Amino acid sequence: APRAPGKKITARLKRTLPVRGPQAPTLSELMRWYCLNTNTHGCRRIVVSRGRLRRLLWILLTLSAVGLILWQCAELLMNYYSASVSVTVQFQKLPFPAVTICNINPYKYSAMKEYLSELDKETKKALETFYGFSEGKSKVRRSVDDWNSTGSNFFQHIPLLKVEDFSRTATDLHSGQKRKIEGSVFHKDSSIVNSGDSNDIIGFQLCDANNSSECALYTFSSGVNAIQEWYKLHYMNIMAQIPLETKEKLSYSADDLLLTCFFDGLSCDKRHFTRFHHPLHGNCYTFNSGDNGTILSTSTGGSEYGLQVVLYIDEADYNPFLVTSSGAKIIVHDQNEYPFIEDIGTEIETAAATSIGMHFTRSRKLSKPYSDCTETGADIPVENLYNKSYSLQICLHSCFQKAMVDSCGCAQYAQPLPAGAEYCNYKKNPNWMYCYYRLHEKFVKEQLGCQQICKDACSFKEWALTTSIAQWPSTVSEDWMLRVLSWDKGQKLNKKLNKTDLANLMVFYKDLNERFISENPANTLVILLSNFGGQLGLWMSCSVVCVIEIVEVFFIDSLSIVLRRQWQKAKKWWRDRQRGGSGKAPRAGDPERQGHDNPACIDEDLPTFTTALRLPLPQDSPLPRTPPPNYSTLRLETAFTEQLPDTVELGQ
Amino acid sequence: MNLKKYLVRALHRLQKGPGYTYKELLVWYCDNTNTHGPKRIIKEGPKKKLIWFFLTLLFASLVFWQWGILINTYLSYNVTSSLSIGFKTMKFPAVTICNANPFKYSEVKPLLKELDRLIEAALERILQPTPGNSSENLSPPLDLELWNQIPLVLIDEHDKDNPIILDIFETNQTAVGNETAVGNETAKKYKLAVKLCSHQGSDNCTYRNFSSAAQAVTEWYILQSTSILSKVPLHERIRMGYQAEDMILACLYGAEPCNYKNFTQIYHPDHGNCYIFNWGMDEEALNSSNPGAEFGLKLILDISQQDYIPYLSSAAGARLMLHQQKSFPFLKDQGIYAMAGTETSIGVLVDELERMGYPYSDCTMNGSDVPVKNLYSQYNTSYSIQACLRSCFQNHMVEICGCGHYMFPLPEGVTYCNNEDNPGWAYCYSSLRSSIKQRQICIDSCKETCNDTQYKMTISMADWPSEASEDWIFHILSYERDMSTNVTLDRNGIIKLNIYFQEYNYRTISESAATTIVWLLSSLGGQFGFWMGGSVLCLIEFGEIIIDSLWITVINVIGWCKGLKQRRARARYPDAPPTVSELVEAHTNLGFQPEAPGAVPRPEVLPPEPGTPPPNYDSLRVRPLDALGPDSD
Repeated sequence: APRAPGKKITARLKRTLPVRGPQAPTLSELMRWYCLNTNTHGCRRIVVSRGRLRRLLWILLTLSAVGLILWQCAELLMNYYSASVSVTVQFQKLPFPAVTICNINPYKYSAMKEYLSELDKETKKALETFYGFSEGKSKVRRSVDDWNSTGSNFFQHIPLLKVEDFSRTATDLHSGQKRKIEGSVFHKDSSIVNSGDSNDIIGFQLCDANNSSECALYTFSSGVNAIQEWYKLHYMNIMAQIPLETKEKLSYSADDLLLTCFFDGLSCDKRHFTRFHHPLHGNCYTFNSGDNGTILSTSTGGSEYGLQVVLYIDEADYNPFLVTSSGAKIIVHDQNEYPFIEDIGTEIETAAATSIGMHFTRSRKLSKPYSDCTETGADIPVENLYNKSYSLQICLHSCFQKAMVDSCGCAQYAQPLPAGAEYCNYKKNPNWMYCYYRLHEKFVKEQLGCQQICKDACSFKEWALTTSIAQWPSTVSEDWMLRVLSWDKGQKLNKKLNKTDLANLMVFYKDLNERFISENPANTLVILLSNFGGQLGLWMSCSVVCVIEIVEVFFIDSLSIVLRRQWQKAKKWWRDRQRGGSGKAPRAGDPERQGHDNPACIDEDLPTFTTALRLPLPQDSPLPRTPPPNYSTLRLETAFTEQLPDTVELGQ
Repeated sequence: MNLKKYLVRALHRLQKGPGYTYKELLVWYCDNTNTHGPKRIIKEGPKKKLIWFFLTLLFASLVFWQWGILINTYLSYNVTSSLSIGFKTMKFPAVTICNANPFKYSEVKPLLKELDRLIEAALERILQPTPGNSSENLSPPLDLELWNQIPLVLIDEHDKDNPIILDIFETNQTAVGNETAVGNETAKKYKLAVKLCSHQGSDNCTYRNFSSAAQAVTEWYILQSTSILSKVPLHERIRMGYQAEDMILACLYGAEPCNYKNFTQIYHPDHGNCYIFNWGMDEEALNSSNPGAEFGLKLILDISQQDYIPYLSSAAGARLMLHQQKSFPFLKDQGIYAMAGTETSIGVLVDELERMGYPYSDCTMNGSDVPVKNLYSQYNTSYSIQACLRSCFQNHMVEICGCGHYMFPLPEGVTYCNNEDNPGWAYCYSSLRSSIKQRQICIDSCKETCNDTQYKMTISMADWPSEASEDWIFHILSYERDMSTNVTLDRNGIIKLNIYFQEYNYRTISESAATTIVWLLSSLGGQFGFWMGGSVLCLIEFGEIIIDSLWITVINVIGWCKGLKQRRARARYPDAPPTVSELVEAHTNLGFQPEAPGAVPRPEVLPPEPGTPPPNYDSLRVRPLDALGPDSD
């Protein structure tokens, strides 16, 4: 009893929704039916056309339309991930960027004396030996004596060499003896070896400490470069051993560097600046770094409303070998960006007013799959050593530092330390210089793979700078200006500042127009479908319904016809076998044969819609009893269901 | 009468038309429509019918949903940008040249004499606190009244919470005593500030602090000199400034020589007399059709640094700016410096942004729709955002302080601020300038222009003249200007300028509408075609069916009303009860009841047997077997 309603419902369903087989008994009939009844244009023409040529023409046309649709749709799909660029300009209150200011000289030379005296002596000695330059004879002689007394110094290991190219022998700075050069020669300045005319090349040799036969000689076309590079190498070695706190003390304080400060028409002072220690530039000061949680903004453009500072550049306290230019370096950057001052800083001249007009542009690219950029850098397998937001520079530097730690065992001085590593110095890592130079060369030649791993950031801010210089202070205002600035600095009144120790800097927005360049997806799914629809409709007046029809007819129905035939064949074969080889059954008995009862009677000229409309049915005749033969070929479901109950499962 | 005729005809049409009942109408529609789904519904077997019904519904809703998205996209008025870079013959930009110093000191000295003496004495006091300076006694007494209008004060910050304010001249003795007592190393603890009061002698005062004395002195001097100079009439101020023939020594445009007469003089409050080349006000703007320095503008200027006002501007050089024709040069914003004793080469790239106006973006074409009165229109210049902001500020200044600021043009009927007439103006100006609210109001009310042109400059510098050529160049230029054999020029005053187009001289970003009405129509058509294979004609078909069904409704309603009337009539006159056949007839023939007796066209049109479909529909359904099939089941 409980099952009765269920059964009833199924029975009812079966009765009201009877399952029928495919639209036609055979494949060709099915095709014909499809062509006549489909919604797409073209197919019908094939069937109803008279004459072979016309039919062929229509087949070709239909096929080419299908081909065109496929081609165009493929094109649409391939161009789906394209971006269009839009530029908007907005006039608004703009956040002022962070401005990082450094003295070009990193540390006060007077304070560094105790660390660098040995190195300076060595450098002076080299200058005298190779170029005959001396500041004062007595001084140098004393320094030579000093060196002789402390013979255990490491400068000895990497001395400057004078190379005679032809004989491939080098003169050592200390021993003065000539020795044969082995190993490869690297020319740092150019890859082309100087030909003949100057055979005195200065350089230095770096050897693998574990394997002394592996050496590389670095030569330079000019002694200026050679000595600076050599000095820098040793300098980094020394600095790596000094702790950060000491280094910060050795460098300039905010009071030392900044004489006056003026922002947005109001006075500012050192509290607006954040100290930032840069390994190569010492103490730098960042204005508006956003560390205290607020970012200053400007609501008026123009030089009066920007940042105006007067910097004190103590030129007398410069390191003569490390930096050869004087002035300051500044960089305009976003608060979240790390200032790569050594790479992209702008130099500021002394005794001049440098006016820097800014124009702000913000750009945004679309990330995957539109372009190969990264939003946050989280998907890059390189650890960000800097405590700032991702940029390509950060990635490259971090990548190099990682490679350095991996292969040399210590970290390079100019970049931050990875966890658990320490800076290279000669005492602990005697091999590091050779290793560093080798690695650096690989890096430059893109052999480390850093350039492949690192991607550019998707969004970035850019401040386009227009820099111009005026004389400052002017000749007539020089006198009072220097006096007042000396008073500001709190110096003794008799000692006036020199104007070559001062630099005036103005950083301001030229206008408050922010340009925002952004990429937008050129296509959305809606537009893609519209385009598909347009293509399908244009060539064949087709729609998704047609696609479903095609699936229905060409896949489900055809498959069921084929399967049914196979099934019947198998069944027949089985029956024949059961009968015990009583011979083949007459072919006329095939059920599908009966479907084609009157193949000859098919009317070639089918009634079209209009003719059918106009054709009046005979009024006197009752409901037609005998169906016209051609329709019977289309509708033979009843016969099929009776004869082939097995197709019920197959048809559905 | 017409209406009746129309109704009759409509009924006629309907009777010949697709169907009399909703179902027939629907079936007819499904069978004959050009949209793809409905045909399937009626052609397939019952199960497929159901599937097709839902599919059609789904597709129809998809189409409507996507149409909504498309229309929304259209209404958001997106733009696409196209970029073009290259070289073309373009208008050479207008070049404004000014001296960083506004007036010749030799000319303006009588006006500023008192002020200079005051600041010198004050600096003397500040810098050399040791008493007994004998030179002071010899000089004539200082104009303390001028000083007291806007005095400079020293702020003693030894005690952070309780700073002591020292007036430089009045509390002379105590200040000196203090300073000598604490010694030099704490001299930094003193700060110089400008005292600003709303009225002279009132207590409503603010002290503008400066971290640096140099800044304070400059600011004070600017305030004081502004007040003095604002009383000087314009023609006098122009006379005191640098004259074109003194400043522009040589000029060459392309291969054509030009001279100071080719420059338009304009009085700029910041920089005195400025000279504009190629402003395009009186004559056609010059074109440049070649890149490179040879075809640009070459100028030699003299800024006579000896004649600078010492306290007013500490930077020395020429100020120049490239801008569009007929626009006002805002040198403080966009100007650059050129240093004396150098040759400055400026390669120009014109960076243009052409935007579409409303509704695509909120920009203004000519500033006429901005609610701020443009004060710079008196120069006959075009609208710019800088002009708008300055006009806005000046309007506020006039409104609040009662006088106009000297740096900006005056509205009608207003005078410039000065210490005598408006004693509190400096206080008022200072508070207005630092007011964030005022700035925000101006930013909100000003709109940027739709066509934004920037001149991107590549600036390079070299020393000029070289030491070897220095002598003869100075000699010739001095001779030409002053007609004397004495050299009147020197390295500190002379500037060479080259301004020219770069190899690529324009970069134009122009906007065009991303979604046009054509785009919208083709997208709508694409969607409709994609899901249902439909077109506008299908929509019309659908509309037709709706009208037809409305008609059917009308007919039904009329028929029902008639039936009701008849029944009522029968109820009123209870004759013999109607026979069953009569009732049946009344019901079955409802649809064919004419609305009015006159409207019945032909009674014989009525079908002989109710319920039998009219023969003309059979002709549409050319499948008699279909009709037979279920019967035979």
